[in-house]
Amino acid sequence: MSRNQKLDLSHSAEEQSDARDQMAGNRGLWRDAGRRLVRNRLSLVGIFVLSILFALAIFGPSVAPYPFMEQNLKLISEPPSADHWLGTDQLGRDVLSRILWGARTATTVAIFVTTISLGVGIVLGGVAAFAGGMADWLIMRLTDVVMSVPSIMLALLVNTAIKKPVAIWYEDLYEQTGWALFRSTTFLDYLIVLGALAVVSFPGYARLIRGQILSLREREYVTAARSSGVPFARILFRHVVPNALGPVIVAATFGFSGAMVMEASLSYLGIGIQPPAASWGAMINDSLMDWRYEPWLLAMPAIALAISALGVNYLGDGLNDALNPRIAAERAETKGER
Amino acid sequence: MARYLVSRLAVVIPVVLVVLLITFTLGYYAPGDPILIIYGEDLYRLRPEDLARMRRNLGLDRPFWEQYLDYMGRTVRGDLGRSIASKVPVNRLLASSLPISLQLGLLAGVVLALLGIPLGVLAALRHNTLLDYLIVSLALVVRSVPVFVLAPLLLILLVLQLKIMDVPAAWKGIATPAVVLPVILLAAYPLADVIRQTRAGVLEVLQEDYVRTARAKGLTLILIITRHVLRNALIPVVTSLGLIVNGLIHGSVYLDRIFNIPGFGNLVVTGIQRLDFPVILGTTVFSALLVIAANLVVDLIYPFLDPRVTYSGREGR
Repeated sequence: MSRNQKLDLSHSAEEQSDARDQMAGNRGLWRDAGRRLVRNRLSLVGIFVLSILFALAIFGPSVAPYPFMEQNLKLISEPPSADHWLGTDQLGRDVLSRILWGARTATTVAIFVTTISLGVGIVLGGVAAFAGGMADWLIMRLTDVVMSVPSIMLALLVNTAIKKPVAIWYEDLYEQTGWALFRSTTFLDYLIVLGALAVVSFPGYARLIRGQILSLREREYVTAARSSGVPFARILFRHVVPNALGPVIVAATFGFSGAMVMEASLSYLGIGIQPPAASWGAMINDSLMDWRYEPWLLAMPAIALAISALGVNYLGDGLNDALNPRIAAERAETKGER
Repeated sequence: MARYLVSRLAVVIPVVLVVLLITFTLGYYAPGDPILIIYGEDLYRLRPEDLARMRRNLGLDRPFWEQYLDYMGRTVRGDLGRSIASKVPVNRLLASSLPISLQLGLLAGVVLALLGIPLGVLAALRHNTLLDYLIVSLALVVRSVPVFVLAPLLLILLVLQLKIMDVPAAWKGIATPAVVLPVILLAAYPLADVIRQTRAGVLEVLQEDYVRTARAKGLTLILIITRHVLRNALIPVVTSLGLIVNGLIHGSVYLDRIFNIPGFGNLVVTGIQRLDFPVILGTTVFSALLVIAANLVVDLIYPFLDPRVTYSGREGR
C-alpha cells in the first residue's frame, strides 16, 4: 500500500532531467531529442541493430563468403563448420551468405515500403486535412475500408491478384526499353511485394498526418501567424511540418519494422520474394519441413528477423519518448503507441 | 438504442460493400481464367464456340458491373462460390475449418485474459520498477517478433534442446496437450495489446479520487483493484476486441501450417498456394466481416461498460 502511494507521487527520473534540460536554456528541439534518445539504453540497442542491418544490407553481399545461389551438392544440409559458419541448406548453399543477402532484401523492401506508403499517406492526409468536405470524407472512408480487412489477408490478396497484370506490364517494359533490369524476376517480385505492402500500410500514415495537421492548425501560434499575414506555405513549413515531424518519424520507424516483418510473412507463406533470391521469411518456410534434423536452417533466419524487428522497435520506442516528450510525460504508461 | 444501431449500420454497410468491390476487382483482374483452371490442359481441345458458350454459362462475358452486382448479391445471401481446386463450396470449407479455429481462438482468449490482465495490473502497480520493465519488454517482444519466428525458435528450444515436449503432430481435437503451444502462440500477438492497455488503464485509474478514497478508508489492495480499478481500467481492453480478433486471424494464418491444424489459416494458405480465387476472396471477405462485426459489437456494448457514454453523444474515445 505505502509503496503504491510513493510510486504515484514520485516523478520519473526522466521527467526530472527533462526539467533540468529546460532550465539549462534553449538548446534546440532536435538536440534535446537527440540527448533524450541516447540516454535511453534500449534505443541505443535499437540504433546499434539498425546500423548493423544497414551495414549488412550495403556491404553484406560483398563480404559474403559464397555467392547466394551457389550450390554445393556434396554439402547438403551440413551443420555449421569452419568452411560454412552457419552450415549449408537443402541445396548446399551457404546459410551465412544467404542471411547476409536476406538482410539486403529485408532492408530494401522495408525502406521502399515505408517511403512509398508515407508519401501516399502525406498526400492523402494533407488533401483530406486541407480540402476537407467531400475529399476528406472519401479519403477517410477509404482508410476505413482498407483497415477493416486484416492486413495479412489484404496483402496476400493484393500480392496474388496483381502478380499477373504486373508481370505482363513488366514484359512490355522489357520489350520497349530492352533494359536488363526488366528481365530480372527478382526485381518483379520486389515490385509486387512493394505494391501489396504499400496498399496495406498507407492508411495509417494518411490518418496520422491528417490528425496532426488538423490539431496543429488550431494552435495559437498558427492563428497568430495567420492573423499577422504570414503566407500559407510559410506557416506550413515553419510551424506545421516541424511539429508534425516527431510523430511521423516514430510511426515510420515502427512502420519500417512492420514492413520488414510483412515481407518476411509473405515470403514465409510461399508468395512474395521467390527463390533463388534470399529472403529470411522464405528461408524459414524452406526449412519448416525438416526442422527436427536441421534446426540451424530454421533458427538462423528466425534469429536474424527477430533481432532486427525487435531492435528497430526499440528505436521506435526510444524515438517516441525522445521526440514527443510532452505526450510521453502525460502518458508515460502507453509505451510504444501504434 | 435502435436509432444508434441504425446509424452505426449506415456506416458499416457501405464499408462492407466497398470491401466486396475491392476484393471482387482484385479477383476480376487476377491471374487464372476460371475456365482454364476448371478444364486445365483439356481446354485446348475445346472448340472456340464451346468456350464462348461456357463463358456465357458462367456469366464471364457480362460487363464488370453486372458481375459485381451478381457477386455482391450472392455474398450477401451467404454464398461465397465454389473452390476451383476441390469443387467444394467455400461455405462448406469454412464450416469445416472455422470450428477448429474458433475453439483455439476462444482458448487463446482465455489465455489472454488470464495472462494479459494480471501482467498489465502488476506492471502498473510496480510502475517504473524492474518488474514493470520486464513485463513491458515482454509485451514489446511478442508484438515485434512475428509468431512464425517465435514458434520455430520455441519448438527448437522445447523439443530439441530441453526435450520437455513431443513434436506436435496431426490435429486430434482441442482436448489434447498438443494444443498448448499453438494456443499460447496464438495469444502472443494480441497479448502485447492486452498488457499495454491494461497497464495504461490501471495507471490512469489509480490517479482517480475514488481510488484515493478507497485507500483512505483502508480497503485492501485486492479489493481496490478488483472493485474499483479494474472495472474502469479494462474498458479499453474490451474495446480493443477488433484488434484482438485481427491478431487471432494473423496468428491462425501463420500457425496452422507449423502445427498442422486444419483451421482457417490452413484454408487461406492452401487457397493462396493453389491460386484458388474463390477461396482467397471468400476467406478475405469473411475475415473483414469478422473484424467489422467485432468493432460493431464494441460500439454497441460500450455504453453499458461506461455509463458516462450515451448512444447519441460519445465521449472519451
